[in-house]
Amino acid sequence: MAATPTIGKATTEVVAPAGAGDRTATLRTWSLGLWSVFAILFLFLPIGVAIVFSFNEPAGRFNFTWQQFTFDHWLHPFADPDLARSLKNSVLLAVISTVGSVALGTLLAIALVRHRFRGRGTADFFVFLPMATPEVVLGASALGLFLVAGISTGFLTLVIVHIMFTISYVVVTVKARLQGMDPHIEEAARDLGASEWQAFWRVTMPTIAPGVVSAAVLAAALSVDDYVVSSFNAGQTQTFPLFIFGATRQGVPPEVNVLATMLLLFILAMLGLNLGVQKALARRDERRAAH
Amino acid sequence: MPEPTRASLESQLEQLLWDESLSRRRFLGRSAGAVALAGGLSSFLSACGIAGTAEKNVAELAKLAASVNHPKVPIGDWTFANWPLYVDKPVLRQFDQRYGGHVKYVEEINDNNEFFGKVRPQLSAGKSIGRDLVVLTDPMAARWVRSSYVTPIDKRNTPNVVANMSDSLKSPPFDPQRLYSTPWQSGALGLGYDIKATGRELKSVKEFFNPEWKGKVTMFLDSQDSASTVLIGEGKDPATSDLDAHLAAVETISKAQKAGQFRRFTGNDFTVDLTKGNIVLAMAYSGDMVQLQADNPNLRFAYPEEGAILWTDNMLLPAHVQHPYAAETMMNFVYEPEVAAKIAAYVNYIPPVKGVREILAKTDPEIAENPLIFPSDEQAKKFFSYAQLSSPQRQELDKAFAKVTGG
Amino acid sequence: MRLKNRSRLIPWYFAAPGLLWLLVFFLVPLLNQLNVSLLTGDPEAGYELTWAFSNYTDAISEYWPQIRRSLGYAGVATVIDVIIAFPLAYFIAYRAGRWKGLLLLMIVLPFFMSQVLRTVSWQLLLTDNGWIVSRLKDVGLVADDGRVLATSGAVIGGIAYNYLPFMVLPLYASLERLDRRLIEAATDLYASRAVAFRKITVPLATPGLFAGSLLVFIPATGDFINASLLGSTKQYMVGNVIQSNFLTVLDYPTAAALSFLLIGIILVGITIYSALLGTKNLTEAAG
Repeated sequence: MAATPTIGKATTEVVAPAGAGDRTATLRTWSLGLWSVFAILFLFLPIGVAIVFSFNEPAGRFNFTWQQFTFDHWLHPFADPDLARSLKNSVLLAVISTVGSVALGTLLAIALVRHRFRGRGTADFFVFLPMATPEVVLGASALGLFLVAGISTGFLTLVIVHIMFTISYVVVTVKARLQGMDPHIEEAARDLGASEWQAFWRVTMPTIAPGVVSAAVLAAALSVDDYVVSSFNAGQTQTFPLFIFGATRQGVPPEVNVLATMLLLFILAMLGLNLGVQKALARRDERRAAH
Repeated sequence: MPEPTRASLESQLEQLLWDESLSRRRFLGRSAGAVALAGGLSSFLSACGIAGTAEKNVAELAKLAASVNHPKVPIGDWTFANWPLYVDKPVLRQFDQRYGGHVKYVEEINDNNEFFGKVRPQLSAGKSIGRDLVVLTDPMAARWVRSSYVTPIDKRNTPNVVANMSDSLKSPPFDPQRLYSTPWQSGALGLGYDIKATGRELKSVKEFFNPEWKGKVTMFLDSQDSASTVLIGEGKDPATSDLDAHLAAVETISKAQKAGQFRRFTGNDFTVDLTKGNIVLAMAYSGDMVQLQADNPNLRFAYPEEGAILWTDNMLLPAHVQHPYAAETMMNFVYEPEVAAKIAAYVNYIPPVKGVREILAKTDPEIAENPLIFPSDEQAKKFFSYAQLSSPQRQELDKAFAKVTGG
Repeated sequence: MRLKNRSRLIPWYFAAPGLLWLLVFFLVPLLNQLNVSLLTGDPEAGYELTWAFSNYTDAISEYWPQIRRSLGYAGVATVIDVIIAFPLAYFIAYRAGRWKGLLLLMIVLPFFMSQVLRTVSWQLLLTDNGWIVSRLKDVGLVADDGRVLATSGAVIGGIAYNYLPFMVLPLYASLERLDRRLIEAATDLYASRAVAFRKITVPLATPGLFAGSLLVFIPATGDFINASLLGSTKQYMVGNVIQSNFLTVLDYPTAAALSFLLIGIILVGITIYSALLGTKNLTEAAG
């Protein structure tokens, strides 16, 4: 068995010596690649179907059978004002609750990883508990609280519960990033006279930024697609998943597929943008490191 | 949580301690709760019991109905909760234009029980649920009437309803004088099948149990829907059948289920299985079948020859309603035959309003001739309604049926 | 003695807002459910506190099939996800080169299309007369008169599909952190890739494997959308039962008791699993 080709960064790629070992390595890479392609196809197959049916012109109200191609639903995706409003609510809800849970969760993760304090183990476990709780229970029990507290359910309560059930995921994601980080950098910053907050903003935040971004993506994804918890706490606020679920009784209109696809494209654009920014930042860091 | 205000804590304490129907056990529980409540944040644990929805005094509700008076007031912003895609939206805009104000139309009811579960706490606490008009199917509407969760309708505000309501809908068992409820749409349960797959017309409830279709049949997940249909098949009237009869019907289904007769028990999702050919026969809603036929002309709907359950979705004013006049004006509005015709053409269920067919005969003859939307008089005689089961009875039936479907 | 004598309150400034949020909106309501699980009664007469611990035993005896099914389905789906995700994560971490970012994006993206909509799409794809099922019949994976929908296989597949990204991401994260030079050195030492893989890659990927398994297994046990859309009532899981008891039957005590049973089983399971994998601290590894 000869050397393994290292394809970490394209720039540092090692050219492996030719030989039998190289061929098996290539074969391995190819079979892994093929497997990955199939896995990703698997992930996207139903999405493809949903997108295809956004171009369907169903004869009745049920969008199950391919009838004929139409662009109409794409031209008037907001034809149904309630559907449009539900999407708007969902996006707004995802944005607000993501900001909230990322802020709370990131701080919490820092405290849990960077500091040793009494009750840390308990706090750790406590943060983990919501993830081990079925969504139904989260939703129903939160509703109980709002009723007793006399808070009427609606957008506000949705924000509250969405922050509640996404915090743990944020903490877990940010923690993972923090654990891979050298704590001495912060200490060094503090030793050099930085205040706690300066150390946090200037040193900790930039290094954990990728973790925070993935946490935000995860939180937004969980929030925007939540049905169960929302169904208990939505009051009269309609969200996109609630609308879809309700519409299954009367047939999901193709506009739903259009809007879902548009949402997907929007997220794709945002994630692509984020990817570009991160790459640029990484290049900047490399340049700085080179100096 | 915003710090619970002192006043609200006190009022809760009071509520806990001075509830009229205080059994000793409950009192102990509640006292313990009250102590916890005084503890501050865990005020929350105070709800040591969950109030029931037992029949309150229906006679009192009737008294209220006799003296109901909802004066004409300008219509402002008000709220109408309905099922998704259950109205032609321009109808609502037309309402706003004609009567002023703005109807906040919320398509939030996905399931009767689920909606009830959502608003039940406010209702049992005697609070407004924030909706002025809700649409619920018969058994749930009956439950609301029994529990006094409704406000009587001031019929002076709904002359169209009085004049135009279909005769067959005028006195359902749960509300014989239609004091609290007004039909929105009706629909029947029947046989939905693919004639290409069956090779012949199906007409009888017996077909659900015909071994010829083994593994290719679906029934409804709702215990009362399925049991009532079986009872009709046995020549009984579900409305006058007791719990035991229903349980016996469940037993019949259980036997067939054990033999592998049914592929699934479904809600509306029978539609996918039927259009995609996974099954040949489904217990189906008439309105859905009208829509499915548009995509697949081989699909048929048949009212069973033994008779069919006719369910009705009813408009109700919830208890402590805030804008009764607006809600009543809407009831009156949708009982104008022209408006009802628009809704019928869109939703394809059976309209509860007289004169709709005549209008559609001119504008949309195909719909006017559709027996699923306008059943014949002869057919109308063979429509049955659900039995009035109390909640514990219903729970027993649900549990028995859940055993069958999950077995 | 990490931070010398800095104020001991500092960690609390960071932790308090988040912890408080969870305390008020998660723990207090959950404790209330604990109370609910001990009530008896019926929806019309109301429920009252009788410390009915029998609710738990009743729930177990009545819903044991669903509980067992949930754990079984979730377990099998988790294993399937490991099998699919490990090579995928490995490929992304080491072989994807400049495609890495794009591939990761592709893994996350499905999250942003409604789960209900995606599951309905599977329903359309897996119809009895559809292309996929016909091919499966051709190769003998499905009997000629067989079907895919309304079977355990469809539900397990649906669950595995839904939670696959949750497995890929942590696996990728832990593999990516792994120092490639270790493997190279090991390859030289052991002179066998297979041994190097077993001795270096797998142990180092264990935290990711653990985190991924939890992220898949836990929500999977409470899932009910897959069972109700791709399965039939015979595939109902404990999530379906909890859902229907909360919302349809309005038997709150049973629903609450089942919820706590589920939480308990999950916690016990995680503890055993973490002991097996040799991770010291379960929440540590979840990160």
